[in-house]
Amino acid sequence: MDNDDGDMNTALMVDGNAVAGQLGQIFGRDMTMTVARCAGCARDAAMGALLAFIRGPGVVLRCPACQNPIARIVETPTAIYLEARGAAYLRMAPQP
Amino acid sequence: MVQPALEWQAGTVTAIRPETRQTKSFTFALPKWMAHRPGQHYDVRLTAPDGYRTERSYSIASPPEHVGELELSVELIPDGEVSPYLHDVLMLGDQLEMRGPIGGYFVWDVAIGGPLLLVGGGSGVVPLMAMLRHRAAQHATLPARLLYSSRSADDVIYRDELESLAASDPTFALFYTFTREPPVGWTGYRRRIDGAMLGEVIKPFDKRARVYVCGPTLLVEAVANALVQMELPIEQIRTERFGPTGA
Repeated sequence: MDNDDGDMNTALMVDGNAVAGQLGQIFGRDMTMTVARCAGCARDAAMGALLAFIRGPGVVLRCPACQNPIARIVETPTAIYLEARGAAYLRMAPQP
Repeated sequence: MVQPALEWQAGTVTAIRPETRQTKSFTFALPKWMAHRPGQHYDVRLTAPDGYRTERSYSIASPPEHVGELELSVELIPDGEVSPYLHDVLMLGDQLEMRGPIGGYFVWDVAIGGPLLLVGGGSGVVPLMAMLRHRAAQHATLPARLLYSSRSADDVIYRDELESLAASDPTFALFYTFTREPPVGWTGYRRRIDGAMLGEVIKPFDKRARVYVCGPTLLVEAVANALVQMELPIEQIRTERFGPTGA
């Protein structure tokens, strides 16, 4: 049933904070306080507060307001793929 | 706050302490120890002989005042990939690949201030304990309350420490709720955390409370929704969800 699927997905969900290490490796800085604006609903959320689905072969980060996918990350032995067309932009403080 | 790029390092186990039937605390000495902020976590990586690697994130239980070492408390997930190794194989003196401290979102320190309401379910209490230990190490007197949901009294992690803190610190209050097997004669809460319970615990802090919620996803969702219904400003609420197989 749809409801059961919904519940299971909710139960499997964690926060962007759970992939902070991976994001930090990719961007070379802590990304949990970086703001992502959702390309779907235009609301802002700290990346640490995005909904994260990490049990698949890759990671999916979704908007906490509308659940639109913001970004997907897949790591292969030779490359890291980061697809982020669900983000209108990321806003982060400059590093001094 | 700028952090140097995270790198993997080998932590050496210096202590292993059982907390409950399901949870053990591991203390590691790190060659490149860095002060963390309470609430942050470390990633732990295991590599099999064939090169297969898997990683998990574990919250730091110790306060940053504990220099040179860090403590992780790990709940055993019987069919998990990492926690059975940590529980059953890892011994004193062994080394483990770790990187951290990680995360700038689910963090609290005394500079952020209070009043502080911590809400935890199961092993979700671990990062909250780092906050309480830091608060105690700083001799802070800002009011703090912990609402902690466990299945039974035997499942309460850090029980002695929490109860002695509650007994000795008049500005800290401890509330348990037991969802399966309350102790005989228990007169406190005996249900899942709900809006009515939260309303009672948060009452003296009202809308000034800074709230940190950590636990299984469904508990976090329920608590966060109840707090929003109470019209607590959303920027005062920080949540961290554990998946059901978080370890």
